Amino acid sequence: MAYGLLVTNDDGDVLIDSDFMHYHFLGKYTHSSVTQIPDISGGSDSSVTVSGNSPNQNKGMQNMPSKGEIYIYSVPVNGSNPPMCFIKPTSTGSSAPFAGIVLTKQSGTNWEIRVFQSTVTSASPVLYCFSPLSQVSNSTSTTYGLKTFDSSGVVTFDSRFKPLRAVGGGSITSPGLAHTGSTGSSWNVSLSVNASSVSTSFTSQSSASDLIYYCPSLAHACQQYTHEEDDSGIESWTSYAWARGDVWWCFYRSCFRIASTSSFEANYGVFARGHIYEHKGDTTNVFAGLILGALTGGAYFAAILATLAAAGSFTSAGVDGGNYLPYENSYRNTSGNAFIISKASYYD
Amino acid sequence: MAYGLEIFDSSGNTTFSTVDSTWTLLGVYTSNADTSTTHTGVPVMPTRIVTRVMVDQISGDDESYVHTFSLSGSTLTTTAPSSSETVKTVFMVFGK
Repeated sequence: MAYGLLVTNDDGDVLIDSDFMHYHFLGKYTHSSVTQIPDISGGSDSSVTVSGNSPNQNKGMQNMPSKGEIYIYSVPVNGSNPPMCFIKPTSTGSSAPFAGIVLTKQSGTNWEIRVFQSTVTSASPVLYCFSPLSQVSNSTSTTYGLKTFDSSGVVTFDSRFKPLRAVGGGSITSPGLAHTGSTGSSWNVSLSVNASSVSTSFTSQSSASDLIYYCPSLAHACQQYTHEEDDSGIESWTSYAWARGDVWWCFYRSCFRIASTSSFEANYGVFARGHIYEHKGDTTNVFAGLILGALTGGAYFAAILATLAAAGSFTSAGVDGGNYLPYENSYRNTSGNAFIISKASYYD
Repeated sequence: MAYGLEIFDSSGNTTFSTVDSTWTLLGVYTSNADTSTTHTGVPVMPTRIVTRVMVDQISGDDESYVHTFSLSGSTLTTTAPSSSETVKTVFMVFGK
């Protein structure tokens, strides 16, 4: 640089460079509302009270894992650059829920931020948000401190507005599948998150409960369990035939937690879930006609799913529509996710 | 601290310290949905990290890929894994 201020440490790391915008504290925000993705649940029954061993159990959301919650925040920062929002989790440690930002969206002069937490808790995560000075409208009467300008005279660093102080960081990769092993048996589904958490370390700090982290959720996984049965025969001198096919699925989003004073972990929470089925029966020997579309390719299920999703069940929840079954038993976006650690006490 | 820089407010509280390994924002770059984009002019610092944020809500019907990237010198190359189901992604490059 020809002029200005450049502060480095003995490792050569740049700590302050007046040529670049630094992030400063915007404020601390609590959520304005909480929501969940509504379940998609339903099916088609047709004359299923026929004789024989036609199964009627578990046609709802029985045995499905619990969903996490979505906390909605409105951050008043007007500008094209999204704020950096650090999560102050509800708790830390190896049993703490996982949480991650799943939505960043400009809404008028605010940015809407949504935080997904893997389990429902009585306490709520709090956001500590930062932005470049050009997007910070806070005022101060303090005359102490250090202020730097770039060559155009734009303020790039101002200690009066609490510059972001990062105490650690790195990169973390989310697990692949959220559920490993068997996904169910007969009419009983098993799709809970059982993947091992991925852990990475950062510079050790004195208190885990004081830490806040920035790590938007990128990864997601979608897994399903299907089961189909059919039977036919004669009972009480009457022919019977039935067929039933079910699909259960969960859509998982990646989320994170402070596991200790030096450990950051990634895993998944159940973001959305569904269960649909088709069940047919008859008392005549027309079994061939009862073979479901699902049994031959899933077109029948697709029609039921489309009907349920189009019924508008998402409207009241303020979440985007869709069936949350965009792919089967796979995952996306798990690769290196940068994270930054800071301390809440710096800004409280 | 034995050496370095500490900045205090009028109450004597530390507002910034070189003990903390802070990060400087070098640039914000946006790659639109379904589009691979090369961003140039990224400032160089000894250590850099790139954070990614998916902007706007992902659709429950899409595979919702995030752009992948590589950062070399002053060039940030971002790639849309899918030409129809990659979300708009904001890249924030930090350095120290």
